[in-house]
Amino acid sequence: MTSTVIWTIVILTVLGLLLALILFWVARKFKVEEDPRIDEVEKVMPGANCGGCGFAGCRAFADAAVKAPNLDAQYCPVGGNDVMKKVAAILGLEVKEKAPQVAVVRCNGSCENRPRTNVYDGVASCRVKAALYSGDTGCAFGCLGCGDCVSACQFGAISMDPATGLPVVDEEKCTACGACAKACPKHIIELRNKGPRGMRVYVSCVNKDKGPAARKACAAACIGCGICVKTCTHDAIVLEDNVAYIDYGKCRLCRECEAMCPTGAIHGVNFPKELDKDAVKARIAERQKKAREAAAAAEPVAVKPAAEPLKKEENNG
Amino acid sequence: MASKITFSIGGVHPADNKIARGRAIEVLPLPKTVYVSMAQHLGAPAKPLVAAGDSVRTGQVIAEPGGFISAFVHSPVTGTVKSIAPRKDLAGNLVTHIEIAVADEEVWAEGIDLTPGLVTELPSDVPAMLERIKANGVVGLGGATFPTHVKLNPGPNAHPECLILNGAECEPFLTSDFRIMVERPKEIVVGAAIMQKILGGCKCVIGIEENKPEAIEAMGKAVAELGYQGISVQPLKKRYPQGGEKQLIDAVMHRQVKSGALPISVGAVVQNVATSLAVYEAVQKNRPLITNTLTVTGDCLPVEKQHNYLFRIGVPLSFIAEYAGGIPEGAAKLVSGGPMMGRAIANIDACTVKGSSSILYLSEALTKRKPESNCIRCGKCADACPMGLEPFLLNRLYKAGDLGQLEDNAAQDCIECGCCLYSCPANIPLLDNIRQAKGQVMGVIRARAAAAKAAAEAAKNQ
Repeated sequence: MTSTVIWTIVILTVLGLLLALILFWVARKFKVEEDPRIDEVEKVMPGANCGGCGFAGCRAFADAAVKAPNLDAQYCPVGGNDVMKKVAAILGLEVKEKAPQVAVVRCNGSCENRPRTNVYDGVASCRVKAALYSGDTGCAFGCLGCGDCVSACQFGAISMDPATGLPVVDEEKCTACGACAKACPKHIIELRNKGPRGMRVYVSCVNKDKGPAARKACAAACIGCGICVKTCTHDAIVLEDNVAYIDYGKCRLCRECEAMCPTGAIHGVNFPKELDKDAVKARIAERQKKAREAAAAAEPVAVKPAAEPLKKEENNG
Repeated sequence: MASKITFSIGGVHPADNKIARGRAIEVLPLPKTVYVSMAQHLGAPAKPLVAAGDSVRTGQVIAEPGGFISAFVHSPVTGTVKSIAPRKDLAGNLVTHIEIAVADEEVWAEGIDLTPGLVTELPSDVPAMLERIKANGVVGLGGATFPTHVKLNPGPNAHPECLILNGAECEPFLTSDFRIMVERPKEIVVGAAIMQKILGGCKCVIGIEENKPEAIEAMGKAVAELGYQGISVQPLKKRYPQGGEKQLIDAVMHRQVKSGALPISVGAVVQNVATSLAVYEAVQKNRPLITNTLTVTGDCLPVEKQHNYLFRIGVPLSFIAEYAGGIPEGAAKLVSGGPMMGRAIANIDACTVKGSSSILYLSEALTKRKPESNCIRCGKCADACPMGLEPFLLNRLYKAGDLGQLEDNAAQDCIECGCCLYSCPANIPLLDNIRQAKGQVMGVIRARAAAAKAAAEAAKNQ
């Protein structure tokens, strides 16, 4: 009896030691060197694993950030500049501040503006709907209203407005991870700079139809008339495929385009004062009159070289 | 009569509703303006060869192929080109159309044989026959509109053993193929003989579903009278999707096409009977594909208002609907194509294309989707799938976004026939989700193939 107990203890002890030796050897032989900074960086990340940075998750981002020579290609849209500064401090690198962004829904096609031409009773998914046809209104470019963006958002920042049938972004909650922009089969959601105190101006339409067709499909469509392009004194607006686009990097928030837009497709948001369209229009008319007088006074040839360098700049940008 | 055959797995039995079967083909008059789409075939869109202001004759080439898999497009009318501009198609998407104002008097382009007689003697020059099929813009009229000259020219390494002529017309309601088989069987058989010759003299089986005994009889008689070698008529059981390419090959040859492979890999070439008619007209009469047959039918349309029309390509659907007596009351959904695989008409002003086969007026009872409930694991969808897939599983994998598992479970083999959706007692939108999954998996497969090709080229250059 006693001998059985002793033998058991001896065998198990020897076996334990033997296995411990094997484990010790394996651990040394196959040791993977991992930069301890990866763990440190991961700790300061938001941990949402949303993929908004373009990497598979926060750990993949941390891994890439540690290996990268600089942080130009890395940016965590959820954590923003605060997190990036912490990451840079850990890695001893410099980081450029980026302007915070927000998701912007570029469609005006509320039930009022955009009459329904047919009824869709298929699967409530924008992706499925877009694969079947152009949508239940005359506009083949606008919001399909099935809410793929809402289900794509991990932060609960988008909801459908039942009154308009369009998604609404909660700017407080939006982290600009871009999941909604990727989920939208019509590409109407764009990440734009939030702007000072949230103020920004954008064209809320992506309809590439020619003016009359766009207007017929939606009362608030961009008809590609180009008035905004002519009005803009900052060269921030381009007109391509019958739709205007405002470059948020160049826009100075003067809101002149918004006042001049005949369909109301240009939106200015979060401005403290409501736009006095008449006053702005009068101001623009005054300025244009002066410009015409100046042009008439000067030689007409002088206008041309001034226009050409501008074009070149556009191409370079 | 030979015994009836069918494919081995899956399938459903929807009511065939061939209400318009007794209506003879009528010639549809021309509207004042036609709009000819540049994307009426599979592959790259055609490139317009005319400009606004040009006058065109009937049958004149107005657009050339935009790639290897593409087709010529001919003017369906005599008149003046008014514009070349994007216009909304059936689904509301913008496609380039050539707008032609129709002139009062019709003048055909030169070289087109307009005499009514049947030409039974086959030309001897095979490349010349293929060239005529290509030059006359013939595409597959069974639904996919794949350019016929590409399909009939499978390359030197292929061994076509059997040409299967698809007269199954397994979609409910549609009767256009049935009517041409009853009214023009001899032309179809000559067309089959031409394709047989092009493919190197393989045998030819004309498959027709049993619910069309008049067509089986007419085609059988035509085959016997014309006396070409190796052509036979094969009755098929009534079972959807009997007219699916892979199902038909399974039924006739007892062979299964491998995943991702083409029918020619098992020695089969499948062509629709309407394509055969187009081939006959192209080769024997040098007539371009500018007409096709279309059924105006539906469950809320009285039989006297149902029609089979010989239409010119480019005629607006709204014109046909109006000519046939307007959209009936009680029509909840308009569909182009069959009720199983057809597409809803989102834009009635869209124009007919080479592959247009019907305008269906369906009542709410037939089309309204019932509320979706939970999967009860009954397995009916797996029983019904003619490709042997497991639709319930693919649906779950799609929802989970697992592309790797979707590919392993062959989501890319789905033929989008809709049997799963038709048989599901829980009304789960299986087809809609699997179609999405298929698209995504195909994207992955194509990207992988492109990457492999690029890598191979890079290795070659080094």
